Amino acid sequence: MNRHPLVGWLLLAPSLLLLGGLVLFPIVYNVWLSLHDKHAFMPVQSFVGFKHYVYFAHDEEFWSSVRYGLIYAGATLVLQLLLGISAALLLNEAFRGRNLLRGVVLFPYMIPTIVAVILWKWLLNDSYGLVNHLLMTAGLVRVPVAWLGKDHIMWSLVLTSVWQFFPFVVVTFLARLQTIPPELYEAAKVDGAGAWRRLLHVTLPQTRNVLFVIILLRSIFMFTKFDTVWLMAGEGGVSRYVRTLPVYAYARSFTYLQAGMGATLAVMMFLLLLVATAVYFRLFRDEALA
Amino acid sequence: MKRALALYAGGLVLLAIGAFPLVWMLSTALKPSGEIFATPPTLIPHAMTLENFGRLFTETNFLTYFGNSVLVSLATVLLTLVVSSMGAYALTRFTFAGRERVAGLILMTYMFAPIMIIIPFYILVKQLGIVNTRLALVLSYTTFCLPFCLWLLRSFFQSIPLELEEAALVDGADLRRAVFYVVLPLALPGVIASGIFTFILAWNDFLFALVLITSEELKTLPVGVNDLFNATIVDWGMIMAAGVVITVPTIAFFVAVQRYLIQGWGAGGVKG
Repeated sequence: MNRHPLVGWLLLAPSLLLLGGLVLFPIVYNVWLSLHDKHAFMPVQSFVGFKHYVYFAHDEEFWSSVRYGLIYAGATLVLQLLLGISAALLLNEAFRGRNLLRGVVLFPYMIPTIVAVILWKWLLNDSYGLVNHLLMTAGLVRVPVAWLGKDHIMWSLVLTSVWQFFPFVVVTFLARLQTIPPELYEAAKVDGAGAWRRLLHVTLPQTRNVLFVIILLRSIFMFTKFDTVWLMAGEGGVSRYVRTLPVYAYARSFTYLQAGMGATLAVMMFLLLLVATAVYFRLFRDEALA
Repeated sequence: MKRALALYAGGLVLLAIGAFPLVWMLSTALKPSGEIFATPPTLIPHAMTLENFGRLFTETNFLTYFGNSVLVSLATVLLTLVVSSMGAYALTRFTFAGRERVAGLILMTYMFAPIMIIIPFYILVKQLGIVNTRLALVLSYTTFCLPFCLWLLRSFFQSIPLELEEAALVDGADLRRAVFYVVLPLALPGVIASGIFTFILAWNDFLFALVLITSEELKTLPVGVNDLFNATIVDWGMIMAAGVVITVPTIAFFVAVQRYLIQGWGAGGVKG
């Protein structure tokens, strides 16, 4: 029987080649780029050291992109958790049609971003959108609201993103809920705990670890989200009211063609995430270790 | 009774959140242009028509985009499954120095969002001379699906007892036959799950397609439809029709395989 280590390496070689060549090498190359002035297409480059880093530290647009990113990631995170956890708690109960509903809830997460975006742009359209029609019929607003205008674009983006990504929370949270032993709830019931107290004293402690992971992953995913943000606001017009860090990095590299500066923003994005993750692990050490 | 009522009320709200926007998309796609802008709006079109789909298929490059998306997604699924099965098999059935460290390193690459390396990635692809090719897309998607698929398949392979494989070998099968007739069938749910994950990622991707593809005849659906959307005054009926056509394969694919997926997990001698 041939289980020679060499055969093992050979089988692993395509994976290592792809990951090494197309992920690890670009990571290193990215750091190198961030220390250079480089045009996105032309082979012109010159070493500039930390010049770009210093530049962005004083760049108002960089700080505003961090601020927009925090608002976007924070708001979508909180709303995804609220909606996702409520939905998971509901789908953990026994009722007819539950399995169908478990499937339907996944739809928003599976459809392409472009579909989610054009769909919500249509629903939120100021003249013909369903949302404005319903609000006006209900008498909540008197004139149509420009949901995609500069005053509301951030919240329209948050709404679209929450709709698109809350199923992730549903699936992961529900998977953990299903493994909580029913005896724990029985015991709490015997002790006279109502539904609210059972949620607080049984469900919450049991799901702390999975919540730790969900919050970590969703924060990182939302802070680095590019396509939904870019598609929702485009490049001109209202885009500067939702220009998060990933969109800013993209614009520097592919609109202004400053690959070096774009790479710098990517490194800074990574460093910000690294620091935030370290702080998060420190703050919630118990959950991280469990 | 009150409890049941509350459950169904909640279920209805959730159904509306999950499905109503998609129903509205379908409804708009089936309306003639006059009815799309009617007040009050109609949920079920009075004069149902397929003219939006007709315009989409004949007056735009939609079918080209669709063909490209199908080709790229299927090629990605195939390549990813082959490469990751080989890799995961090596990580579970062969012992060599540094094996666990390699597995850890692979997981680490999963932490990098594409946007963080898209710039060097683009320059690299350009230097390799494959910018603006479908191959570049297939390689990008395969690479970004690999860490997840490798880890998923690895856990499936680990759960298959080595004895089953050895029994086949004792019976005279060579290693290749043992893998194809014993290991892969038992790991089928994992293979299918990896396939779904990969297909959805490739089918939905916007960033790589935006950066790596420039010619019209090579564009995939997300970028192509975004171009249609930005082209002129928005033709909402046609855009919603495009949305419907892009969504159908994803949902059909998932619904078709989901039953199989659950069955696979329930049946068989594998505990995962």
